[in-house]
Amino acid sequence: MKRLLALACVLLCTTASASELLTGVRSRLADPSILRGQFEQKKTVAGFKKPLLSRGEFLLSRGKGLLWDTRAPFASTLTLTRKSLSAEQKTGGAAYHLDASREPALAAMNEFLFALLSGDVGSLSTRFRIEGELVGADGWRLTLTPTDEGLARVFRGIRLEGDRFVRQVQLEETSGDSSLIQFTQLAQTPPPSATETERLGK
Amino acid sequence: MGNRLAIVWALLVLAVGVHQVRFWRSARLETDILALLPEDEQAPEVGAATRKLADESGRQLVLLVGAPDWESAQRAAEAATEALSKAGAPLEPARVDATALDAAVEFYRPYRDRLLTPAQRAWLARATSEELGGTALMKLYQPAGPRLTDWSDDPLGLWPDWWAARAAENEARPRDGRLWLSGEGREWVLLTWQSQVSAFALGDDAKVTAAVERARAAVAAIPGGRLVAAGVPLYAEAAASQASREISTIGLGSLVAVLLLVWLTFRSLRPIVLVGVSLMIGCAVALSVTALLFDRVHLLTLVFGASLVGVAEDYGFHYFAARQGKPAAERGRVMRFLLPGMLLALLTSVVAYLALGLAPFPGLRQMAVFAAAGLVGAFLTVLCWFPTFDLGDLPVTAFAERVSASLLRWPRITSEKRWWPAMAGLLVVIAGGLWRLETRDDIRQLQGAPANLLEDQRELGRLLGLPSPAQLFLVEGGDEEQVLQREVPLKQRLDALVADGVLTGYRAVSDWLPPASQQRADAELSARAEQQAVAAVAAATGEEPSRARFANDVLTPARFLSSPAAPAIRQQWLGPLGSKQYSVLMLRGLEGPAVLARLAEAAHGLEGVRWVDKTEEISRLMGRYRRLMGGLIVAGYLAVLVMLLARFKREAWRAWVPSALGTLLTLAFFGWVGEPLQLFTVLGLLLLLGMGVDYGIFLLEHPGDGSAWVAVALAGVSTLLSFGLLGLSATPALRTFGLAMLLGEVAIWILTPCFRMPPGKDIT
Repeated sequence: MKRLLALACVLLCTTASASELLTGVRSRLADPSILRGQFEQKKTVAGFKKPLLSRGEFLLSRGKGLLWDTRAPFASTLTLTRKSLSAEQKTGGAAYHLDASREPALAAMNEFLFALLSGDVGSLSTRFRIEGELVGADGWRLTLTPTDEGLARVFRGIRLEGDRFVRQVQLEETSGDSSLIQFTQLAQTPPPSATETERLGK
Repeated sequence: MGNRLAIVWALLVLAVGVHQVRFWRSARLETDILALLPEDEQAPEVGAATRKLADESGRQLVLLVGAPDWESAQRAAEAATEALSKAGAPLEPARVDATALDAAVEFYRPYRDRLLTPAQRAWLARATSEELGGTALMKLYQPAGPRLTDWSDDPLGLWPDWWAARAAENEARPRDGRLWLSGEGREWVLLTWQSQVSAFALGDDAKVTAAVERARAAVAAIPGGRLVAAGVPLYAEAAASQASREISTIGLGSLVAVLLLVWLTFRSLRPIVLVGVSLMIGCAVALSVTALLFDRVHLLTLVFGASLVGVAEDYGFHYFAARQGKPAAERGRVMRFLLPGMLLALLTSVVAYLALGLAPFPGLRQMAVFAAAGLVGAFLTVLCWFPTFDLGDLPVTAFAERVSASLLRWPRITSEKRWWPAMAGLLVVIAGGLWRLETRDDIRQLQGAPANLLEDQRELGRLLGLPSPAQLFLVEGGDEEQVLQREVPLKQRLDALVADGVLTGYRAVSDWLPPASQQRADAELSARAEQQAVAAVAAATGEEPSRARFANDVLTPARFLSSPAAPAIRQQWLGPLGSKQYSVLMLRGLEGPAVLARLAEAAHGLEGVRWVDKTEEISRLMGRYRRLMGGLIVAGYLAVLVMLLARFKREAWRAWVPSALGTLLTLAFFGWVGEPLQLFTVLGLLLLLGMGVDYGIFLLEHPGDGSAWVAVALAGVSTLLSFGLLGLSATPALRTFGLAMLLGEVAIWILTPCFRMPPGKDIT
């Protein structure tokens, strides 16, 4: 019982300071309904000596989904919506598709990625212990440690950095693999094209 | 001589008493309705399968807590959990343990390459090396995703799919650390709890039910909140409280009625005490003998046994009726005078009761033994103790005299012409009723469970997509490998039915433990495909990744069954029964009986695969035994006639015809009111044969003897009361049984004196 009380105290204390941090971050972030830009991903995978580099562009549409189109080293598209996840390689015919109505874990993953890329700290704080600091006049840096059992199976921790937008995401997986993703040329325009809208509607 | 008998019997009663004390301390009472179900002697492995499936869930309590949105569903789940864990409830949460899943994943890891879904198998066989390479690259470059292994252990990302297919055997999914599902307009949290006490222990005062009701109330406080609960403990408690209610109404009701009748007739304390003692000893002997012969005594046996009071008092009645108005010194002679008739009556009753036990229903066998032992116990008490303890005088009361005199005014059927129309009318009524009589052999007669429990069970099954315990495929093989192999073609046929929407899915052991031949083929297939994929990735990245190595041997049943992965499916692996091995393939999402024929067809032509429809099978069995027991009644009437002829010669028909007529009239009544004939009605009629003839025997043994009529009248009224009360039982089987007994008894009781001997005639 004493230990429980102590634990409750610790939790309450961190919440107090954490909430200050979160308010700060939230006030610095823009809250765009769409966000597009370039990404560069550096992924370290067991069995590969050099990091795996990939580059491309993305479109995040709040409430709709994410388009993650890799341009190099090969062209492939990844479409993540509330209903499904599908991936396709332009050459070779490789493709796969997952349906969220059968696999709710996908819906959760979807929600999580939205929150991550748009810096939705309020939603992230329900599944992560958040620590961090405000940097300079408009920057911030956060370290996320999963409290949710499902996420803890996949991620050891996540680091986010940004200002008005999320500029960098570092994913540390429990397997030891890690990905560092940097975003550039972030913009809130132009609105999704007809093809993009169609892909997001899937 | 009399005293020595009394002492011997006293010693036996003492032994029974000691046994009773021990019995009630250990409380080996059974409430499980399944224990009443028949053993199918033609297919013992089917019985073994059903029992095993039932045993696994004996203590489990499954609850779904729902609310219109996920937030309030979680709050409702918390409220329910708090209510359930309150002190006093013998419950503990059965954790859905994440470490158990981890352990299962670790166990399978070395065999990952040979665990493929049918879709993966088809894809790997036809995919080009470009496609394989491309897929591997995509999975490698994908930012992050649900993965269970390093990339090199599963370059095509096959394993999560295999696990997803296993998870699809169940509707609930992990979400925010809970098990979640969505359906019927609500978000639900799945909770599983376990009763800490055996479902069959007596005297826990429906504590589990009370805890569930507390949780239900707590959930109802949340807007739109709803709790659905099911589990054997709830059924057991409902059955126990219903049974104890019925034991007290039926048992106490008839006991009070009998003692009241004794008081009315004899106006003396001695007969009341002695008849009461004979009944108590009868019941105690019945319980002890049943407990010694069977491992557990079923509660319904006690409910049925409670009606025994109405039959076992007959011997006491006869003794006191004959003894009334005679000097105390003559009581030994009275007993000897009564003995032949009483023995014959006891014999016919015991034979009739034991005939009940011919049906392969464990519950019925118990009831038969219980009743026969109880009658013998009561009879021996009357025989051994009554002459010893019944010392005083017993004057004839006015009431007894009036009853006794009424026999003279009772109509007596003769061959005179004025009786012919009455007889013809009776025959028309009987023939018409029999013509209209319908039969029904429905398993639902066995279910006395409260409607709300059944409704919850159905809703839970619908929401969770639980496999049906009543319809399944039984797969048989000479060895384990053959069993697993024989599941494969069956699953292919079922896949087609799933695609047609006949059912939503199935659970098969071979999905968790593929046959060795398939494991080898799949390992080869995935090795070839993954090597191509790894080579393509190596070419694209300029690195030299290598595919991981896997176990050299196949996953064997022995290793699987002792692993942490086995609990998910173990109940469906029956293992060896006799010289064969068996597994059960269970079906999910069966909608209505219309699809059963198509499922039965799926087993056609598959060696070692048998379609089992337990509902249908039991109904068929009940039908078979209804006909068999019906034949037995006819044979029984003939046997009794022979017994009566041996004793009463040409007058035997006088004792026999009333019972036969009573039985026919009961059947006719069922026909006229549209009540179908069932196995339990037939069993009631069988018993009627044993007891109805008693009245005729007594009236023939002591013709013109008013005291015999007093005894018969008393016996009739008390039997009528006890079976009338059985007709109030909430268990449909007992109710129809009681109704048949009630009608038959009344008819026989009215008819018997009509066939008495003309005055002045004597059988000797």
